[in-house]
Amino acid sequence: MTSILFDRQRQGSTSPPLQMLKDALSKETMNLAEAIRTFLHSDPSPGSLLQEQPIAGLMQTSTTRTARVSVEPSLHERLFDALAEVKIMTSKVAMHLDKQWRQKLFAQLDSLHDPDEWEEGEEPLQQESFATFLKAMLAINPERRPGLGLSSLGHLIAAWTTGSDRLTIEFLPGDRTRWVLARAVSGETDRFAGDTPVSRLVEGLAPYRPDYWLRYAEQQDHQPA
Amino acid sequence: MSEQPYKRPPITEAVIDIRFSEDLPAAELEKVSRDFASVYANRETVKNVVAQIGVPPNLEAAPTTQFNQHIGYRLASTDVTELLVLWPATLIVSQLAPYPGWGAFFSRFERDWTRWKKAVGYRKIVRVGVRYINRIDVPVPPEGYIEESEYLNIYAKYPDIIGNVAGYFVQFRAPLNDIECDLVVNSGGVPSPLLNHMSIMFDQDIIMERICPQNDDDIYTLLKKIHEKKNGVFEASVTDRARELFQQ
Repeated sequence: MTSILFDRQRQGSTSPPLQMLKDALSKETMNLAEAIRTFLHSDPSPGSLLQEQPIAGLMQTSTTRTARVSVEPSLHERLFDALAEVKIMTSKVAMHLDKQWRQKLFAQLDSLHDPDEWEEGEEPLQQESFATFLKAMLAINPERRPGLGLSSLGHLIAAWTTGSDRLTIEFLPGDRTRWVLARAVSGETDRFAGDTPVSRLVEGLAPYRPDYWLRYAEQQDHQPA
Repeated sequence: MSEQPYKRPPITEAVIDIRFSEDLPAAELEKVSRDFASVYANRETVKNVVAQIGVPPNLEAAPTTQFNQHIGYRLASTDVTELLVLWPATLIVSQLAPYPGWGAFFSRFERDWTRWKKAVGYRKIVRVGVRYINRIDVPVPPEGYIEESEYLNIYAKYPDIIGNVAGYFVQFRAPLNDIECDLVVNSGGVPSPLLNHMSIMFDQDIIMERICPQNDDDIYTLLKKIHEKKNGVFEASVTDRARELFQQ
């Protein structure tokens, strides 16, 4: 039995374009390859307008491209585009998300991108940061939903507060996270910080008992280490 | 079968696509797109560009290029899960995840179709398509690989000498003579949006091009038949192990 390997580092190479092989192949073979290429053509779906379908790399034979028409987007359009992109990204994992949490998340994102509150020079939420955020949320599955903020670079920042203690995570592009824990001990504040790939975020936080911030029951029962 | 049999339906996108024999004039399409403002919060203009490059045999003459472009409109709900795309010769109703079930999706199609017909009147239909794109997210076991055949009954088969593969893609087209449609299936491994998961895409497109319905009742009847067939093909194509994942 042949299986599919899980290898996040693997970068698949592709065959050279057919036309580059033209002189090396017979006319019959070229016709056959062209027939297969035509057969494999598949239109992108409407939801892919803002994002490439994941299978696109296997089927980039089309010369058709669709894009939003706008010469120079206004602030309102830029903010709308950023929001639309991350909402479509959310839809791709929506089956794994709680409905109420998704609605609350969208309300928070809408609020963060309110054109009336927007200041000159700020960057809207970056898709790559949001992809890291989604992976982290689905991995740690927090009962308590975080407050959200945006860095000046458009990175999403999530914060959980219990009393005066605080867990803050910044979601960076490239599946990286940066986090800080602050807690009061005997009238002083201890701080711990880390910088880990999102795939090791749970392990990185584990020594500090993050459930103190992330779960309801844990707040009364346990203090962080 | 109940309206929504799964706790976590793997549907990432559902689409109903109606194509017409002739383009709607640009001004009329623009006006129609504004008629949907009360039911879709967002509206944007989109452009579809098709580039054709002609290369004469043995390069006896200079290559030629030709660009064809269409202006369309893309309308979306506030959460961008409900989409309506209007092109000069196409009306597309699309639902991104979370999928609310056929009843809600079909009702939205009926609503939009009625509004469209009221605005533009009868136009000859040449194609009706229903497409469902599913993604099965499989947790990666400690051994670091999954057997696709444990989740889908449609997969690529290889000789042992090849060993494990890093990716695959399968496509086939089959006539569905009982409903006079054609089925196109795309399936393969895709990057997973979840940590420590692998994902398998299962994309079903059921198309009617042979004898297209021209009135509302016949269109709705056909769509319901296609939907039932789609469900039958899906259930026959996934395994119990995949169904378990949709319930977790």
